Amino acid sequence: MLPIILLSVFGIVLLFLGFLKTRAVLLPAALLFILIALGAGFLEWNKSYLYFGDMLLINNLAILFSTIVLISAFMVVALSGDFLEDEMAQPAEYYAILLFSIVGAMMMIGYENLIMLFVGVEILSVSMYILTGSDKRNLRSNEAALKYFLMGSFATGFMLFGMALLYGAVGSFTLTDIKSYILLSHGRPSLLLYMGELLVLIGMLFKVSAAPFHFWTPDVYEGAPTLFTAFMSTVVKTAGFAALLQLLSVSFSAIYGFWWVILAAITALTLLAGNLTAVYQNSFKRMMAYSSISHAGYLLIGLAALGQQSRSALVFYSLAYSLATISAFGILLLVAKQHTTDGRPDESYSAFNGLSRNNPLLAFVLAVSMLSLAGIPLTAGFWGKFMLFSAAVDRGMVWILILAVLMSAVGIYYYFRVVIAMYFREGQAGRIRVAPFYQFILIAATALTIILGIVPGLFQNIM
Amino acid sequence: MLSLLIFIPLIGSLGVVLLPASMKSRYKWITLICCSLELLLCGAAYSAFDPTQSGYQLLERADWITLPLGSLGVVSIDYLVGVDGISLPLVLLSGVVMLVGAVSSWKIDARQKAYHALYLLLTSTVIGCFVALDFFLFFLFFEFMLLPMYFLIGLWGGPRREYASIKFFLYTLAGSVLILLVMIGLYLSVMDPVETALRVGLIQDRSEATDEVIRQVQFLLSEYKIPSNLLVHTFDLRHMAKGGNYLPDSFLSVAGEVMLMGIPSRLLAFLCVFLGFAVKLPVVPLHTWLPDAHVEAPTPVSVVLAGVLLKIGGYGFLRIGWGLFPDGAAEYALLLAGLGVLSIVYGGFNALAQVDLKKMIAYSSVSHMGFVLLGIASLTSEGINGAVYQMASHGVLSAMLFLITGVIYDRTHDRRIDHYRGLAGAMPGYTALTAIAFFASLGLPGFSGFIGELFTLMGSFQSIWLPGWMTAVATLGIILAAAYFLWTLQRMFFGTLWFRPEAAGQLTDLDGRERLMLVPLAVLALLLGIFPNLLFDLTNSTVADWIQRFSIE
Amino acid sequence: MKATEIIFYVLTAITLLSASFVVTARNPVHSVLALILTFFCLTGHYVLMNAQFLAAVNIIVYAGAIMVLFLFTIMFLNLQKEDEESKTTLTKMAAVVVGGVLLVVMVAVFRAASVAPYDPATYNTRVGLVESLGMVLYKDYLLPFELASVLFLVAMVGAVMLGKREPGDRHF
Repeated sequence: MLPIILLSVFGIVLLFLGFLKTRAVLLPAALLFILIALGAGFLEWNKSYLYFGDMLLINNLAILFSTIVLISAFMVVALSGDFLEDEMAQPAEYYAILLFSIVGAMMMIGYENLIMLFVGVEILSVSMYILTGSDKRNLRSNEAALKYFLMGSFATGFMLFGMALLYGAVGSFTLTDIKSYILLSHGRPSLLLYMGELLVLIGMLFKVSAAPFHFWTPDVYEGAPTLFTAFMSTVVKTAGFAALLQLLSVSFSAIYGFWWVILAAITALTLLAGNLTAVYQNSFKRMMAYSSISHAGYLLIGLAALGQQSRSALVFYSLAYSLATISAFGILLLVAKQHTTDGRPDESYSAFNGLSRNNPLLAFVLAVSMLSLAGIPLTAGFWGKFMLFSAAVDRGMVWILILAVLMSAVGIYYYFRVVIAMYFREGQAGRIRVAPFYQFILIAATALTIILGIVPGLFQNIM
Repeated sequence: MLSLLIFIPLIGSLGVVLLPASMKSRYKWITLICCSLELLLCGAAYSAFDPTQSGYQLLERADWITLPLGSLGVVSIDYLVGVDGISLPLVLLSGVVMLVGAVSSWKIDARQKAYHALYLLLTSTVIGCFVALDFFLFFLFFEFMLLPMYFLIGLWGGPRREYASIKFFLYTLAGSVLILLVMIGLYLSVMDPVETALRVGLIQDRSEATDEVIRQVQFLLSEYKIPSNLLVHTFDLRHMAKGGNYLPDSFLSVAGEVMLMGIPSRLLAFLCVFLGFAVKLPVVPLHTWLPDAHVEAPTPVSVVLAGVLLKIGGYGFLRIGWGLFPDGAAEYALLLAGLGVLSIVYGGFNALAQVDLKKMIAYSSVSHMGFVLLGIASLTSEGINGAVYQMASHGVLSAMLFLITGVIYDRTHDRRIDHYRGLAGAMPGYTALTAIAFFASLGLPGFSGFIGELFTLMGSFQSIWLPGWMTAVATLGIILAAAYFLWTLQRMFFGTLWFRPEAAGQLTDLDGRERLMLVPLAVLALLLGIFPNLLFDLTNSTVADWIQRFSIE
Repeated sequence: MKATEIIFYVLTAITLLSASFVVTARNPVHSVLALILTFFCLTGHYVLMNAQFLAAVNIIVYAGAIMVLFLFTIMFLNLQKEDEESKTTLTKMAAVVVGGVLLVVMVAVFRAASVAPYDPATYNTRVGLVESLGMVLYKDYLLPFELASVLFLVAMVGAVMLGKREPGDRHF
């Protein structure tokens, strides 16, 4: 609860800080605010609270998901030093919107009432629409923002309709009320409930870009400024999956038999669509967009095979995915600046040619994050996949395991293309200057990825 | 001691990475020193090993990862290394071949730092593969062997190196994905009786675990009396090899009642493991990466690839395929032996048709490794002993053969067989060693190749699973080997001296470094051929014990 | 059939017709006008449900302010000429199939679903009035109500940020 209040206030403070002549104070202030929120979140550790008449439930799971969101946001903000130098950028507004969007993400993580979910989704989405279009001079960015906005509104409409139907069936928006309604209905709940659940699911699956609701993802991810793409692909995804987990495990676990087939089919479709299309991309950024779709597929396994270990698996996977994704985008940001075609940064694979020659550290960071995304042992990504796959097998979904393992092999192919470019190809990449703090963030993320890969139990003990 | 074997090259690798570029000339010395230490340690392991015992020896164990997964029980991954009669010969072989490879790397000039760091990393993972007794640890080394190999071919290779390295990578990766699937299935199906006893409260300390306690735990397991959250799932290959540790009704339970697509899941798992390692061995038709990789790889990498890496395929068959799924091995013995014979004959004919010396040797490797598969598939004591022997022998000989190719390539950058004639006149020392290597490889009695092939053929002839004609067809491989080796010898080395004008003045005889690599290998091949018991003493008791499980089935 | 029922059905029919006209109209101005009509009909529904406050708010905010804005924007952009993006037949087919399936499922669900009927004895007729609305909004739903302000703030900041003229921009 405290982080939500703090971040709302801090966002406004940041807007006022924007009036100052110097921009230098903005970045440290934003970082400090996020850290304070992070610390404040842990005040509620091991205490399970319901706030404001069953609106918000803060338990350890919610705090862990919020921590991942805050860490991702911290890293993204830390990598945003460029804005301070860019004449066109408006960092105060960007940071304020980022902080507000975290408020939305936290509402999605800890909601106990569907209204909270809706408001949270809207805050997060509207922030993202704006940030996607924040590169005003870039037509791609404008197009992406409009596309995202239209499609997103459409999805929100579905979700809202679903919530209305759920209310019609249950007479309440509270998750536990929905659960007790299902339990009391002796296995014959109103059909409106099923319809409502389905529509809410569709809305949420759109937000996490699961197939067949993923068509917006590549264009939006490619058009948005890289930094905000990093934010979108980590924070929105983590919050979205936390919300889905909450919805399915609290309210709808009693009718698992109804929805698991649907989710399993969507999982399979997402895995196929994400991985197979990613192979054909020539732009690294677009590949990362498809990779984020495929990771939504892996995360969906945890939901389709909902069980005891789904929670820890999803938390672990989200963390591993966020760390790797943000460092990958961080490197892309640096590399793409070096070569420009028609005034736009070059985001194709060839931009990475020969990176290892003059920038061994950057190449190593990117290589580790690619390995982690591909799920190679000794990286955090491997254990994330391992836990999710175990969950699937525990539910007897062997076919999904086989599909997922095959698809991760496909994944290795396209993740390695950039490794090949960095190490095998000749390129004219000069030495890239990296700010010390930027470097520190990249190293920290890489170190965490490797540490979690070697001793995953470290994290498990916290849970 | 075995841990030192893994970690010395790893530390060396780190050292190379951390040393400043100004100490460039020291890198190869670090590699050489590490590899020499390895060989010494291998010798020490050899002397510490008691060949009369059949179980694992020189065990070292440390808890590594313990993950509680709720209702799924607990996952336990240990750092567990040890050797038995099957892995020790291969560890010794790796020690020798890696040292030879290190000497052979002396002439690498480009990007020395990366090269030597990767080479040492490769050494560490190769040894790790042979000594790991925890499936997860094994898989880790298996996967991580790929990366340095991929870079070694891709960065220091010939003109088509990128194609060759990615092909090698994808083939092996596809194989390891299948192994990964089986690994997940296995760990979900197998429990660690000792750890489970601890959790259930039967014993208070690991040292109290007697056979009695283990039997009791296994009994409780079969009666469904252990709650699932107390079960400790393990990757320990020792536990995986014992039927009593498999959970009843689990995915790969020994009763084998779980069906997948109409086939019992255990048989399917066996096939997956087989395919996974068959890529590595390589078995025809999964061999197509091998000629490409060999042709493009620099000499030392070829030496390591043929000398050691292919053996991991054979070792994987023995340790995991045949070790954990004896039922599958018995079921498919005929099919597997057939594939082995196919590799022998197909590899032989292909070798006969090559004009590139290196490609010819690469195909001869395919043919020779076919004998390994045939020997293993025979499920007889002779066959398996012979297979291990053949692996060791081929390791030594193929290393020698690729070094020989490297010698001529270093001088003229041309490996075509028909571009040389009568080399015996210009390079007498070279010709002598080449002749030794060729004769040893084609199975001349007195050399190691003969013993390996003889025993695998004997095994397949005696096997109750295989028809006699199969052995007869396999002997064709020996004739083919004689044909292609002798023909090459005749074409390249005999007759009047002739070479392409570009090569004028470059055909000097072997220098000291090359002799240093080739002569010990030749002596080793001869030694193994004359005293086969040097190896058979090591393997025999383990194999005898190991073969038991097939007679029970 | 009682009078309220007749009004309900007539209103609903007009709502649906005008709503579909919003989508199908070629001229954007017609489209907006139809949307206004839709909002008025919805307001009628609120009145039928005895929710006068919501009815008033709906007129003021949606039919009033927002629609005026819409009209302004459309007139500014001068979208008279037809440059419709043509979709491929495949897209159209897919859209028809998906939409049709959704429609069938919905109709089936609504036919089969049982919505608990209200009990006239205990029904609180004041439920839609401003007093009870205020009670709910500021007591039960205080937190989402307050946090909705963050949503508006974000939207406002974004609108200003995206709409602000930058140095070098074209002047109208």
